[in-house]
Amino acid sequence: MATTTTSTAPARPRTATVRRTQGSRRLNGLPWILPAFVFVVGLIYYSVGYTGYISTLDWDGLSPKAKAVGLGNFVDMFHDPIFWAALRHTAVFYVVTFVVQTALGFILAAIMHSRVRLPTLHKVIIFVPTVLAPATMAPVFRLFFADDGMLNEILRGVGLGSLAHPWLADSTTALPALMLITIWQWTGLTFILYYAAMSQIEPELLEAARLDRAGNLRTLWYIVWPGCRGTTVSLAMLGFIGALKTFDIPYLVTTGGPYHSTEFLGTYIYRIGIRQAHIGYAAAISIVLLVLAIAGAVVMSRANRKEVRD
Amino acid sequence: MFELRSRASRIVIQLVLLALTIPFLLPLVEMVRGAFAGRGFNNFVVVWETGVIPTFFKNSAILSLSVIAIVYALSMTAAFGFAKLRIFGKEVYFWMMLAALTLPEVILLSPLFVTATKLHLYNTLLAVILPLAALQLPFAILLTRNYFDGIPSELMDASRIDGANLVQVFWHVILPLTKPIASAVVVLTLINSWNSYLLPLVFLQDRSRQVVTLLPQFFVGEFTNDQTKILAAAVMAAIPTVLAYVLAQKNFERGLSAGALK
Repeated sequence: MATTTTSTAPARPRTATVRRTQGSRRLNGLPWILPAFVFVVGLIYYSVGYTGYISTLDWDGLSPKAKAVGLGNFVDMFHDPIFWAALRHTAVFYVVTFVVQTALGFILAAIMHSRVRLPTLHKVIIFVPTVLAPATMAPVFRLFFADDGMLNEILRGVGLGSLAHPWLADSTTALPALMLITIWQWTGLTFILYYAAMSQIEPELLEAARLDRAGNLRTLWYIVWPGCRGTTVSLAMLGFIGALKTFDIPYLVTTGGPYHSTEFLGTYIYRIGIRQAHIGYAAAISIVLLVLAIAGAVVMSRANRKEVRD
Repeated sequence: MFELRSRASRIVIQLVLLALTIPFLLPLVEMVRGAFAGRGFNNFVVVWETGVIPTFFKNSAILSLSVIAIVYALSMTAAFGFAKLRIFGKEVYFWMMLAALTLPEVILLSPLFVTATKLHLYNTLLAVILPLAALQLPFAILLTRNYFDGIPSELMDASRIDGANLVQVFWHVILPLTKPIASAVVVLTLINSWNSYLLPLVFLQDRSRQVVTLLPQFFVGEFTNDQTKILAAAVMAAIPTVLAYVLAQKNFERGLSAGALK
């Protein structure tokens, strides 16, 4: 994603024309970027800096008395089992949703590139979840996974009634249910991106594979899948940041429960900072979240750059 | 991608597609079915008669349009500066903004909460509009800059020789060429601000200032356990989004893919 193109940007050859015309471009562009720069850097860097400062306090956010505790909040965090559980959930959630979405999106894109009927109808159905607000769909999913919801109805209908139970109330199935919701929502995007990437694969390559009598699955695995690697790397990064940002669905569908079994960093920060007015501790967790997000982005854009060089 | 010679294989692949597509439809079926359960269409009438729906929609519209206006104006001008003009230490400024790209909004909650309360912005749409716009901007600038880089500089040099000043060049030469990327930015910003939930949840307490994503919760408060009304409200919240997507399918798909990739 983001870093894909920027990382390749410096490699773009600066042509002679560009250099020659630079004389006429010796104009100060600062006023053009200043409004955006001041706005973004002002608001966000100020907030991040402020979060860093608050993270050293024991404070409720309103009272004039804030106690400085140094790194105390971070020490508390280290001993906080819910914090570690939230990290674990984020990791599992990321790996599972990424793998399933990639597999589904890739297969769907390959199928839609073959001659099938009603392609637009299928595409719309798969993509619509992407544009719907998670907050709007949350009550639907609470019903969907409920005791008398559609999932159990289907299970009973196909003779798997023994599996039927209230999915969200069971701490072993609540997190997988949230993963299903996420997969439902974002596979459409994965699909569209693979669909676009597959249009870029040279027909001659596919033709050659066919002439070599490679079957459909072999062509898919040895030609098409490597051809879409750039997309896969971008999606891995997008999914990682998405997993760290997860808030709406766990907050609205399970409120992090039962027994914190669907707690994410986002829901935990919200619970502690806004609900329990323990704003210093929430800020400390925010800082960890920020570091993870930046570290993840850096690691993956490195991988991406290597990808481009190969 | 699949080469299908026989009729049987064609049927198989069609069935596989159907089997993979149906699960995507199920939650939507459940939504509509739940909304019509019990008293049928009457659920919608009751929800509508609370009178809050137009207010929530109006607020969402104000919110989204304001964010779009800020993001559009600032990203276009900044992209022009970054792509076509000389700025000392340009890349430093650029990377400082890009660093904000991965930022989860929950990190901003504590400082924004404290600051908004101090500035008496708490409970106003502005408290949501400003941070949302600031969070969308880095990405929009990245997208537009890449696009502006691809516009030949000769075009603007030619009109400069004709005596046009920078503002005129930007307005008459550059902007008309940027429609594709502008529509991607608008769609992306629209979806992200229309669907935003966390910031409105924290900053908009007053019912007259709330937005569409807070509707279900409002009706949970209003009708406690009457699931059918809550789902009817969800359907009403979803319809404009689905309509917008179906009507501008290509734009939505392009906007979101641009958002994911470039």
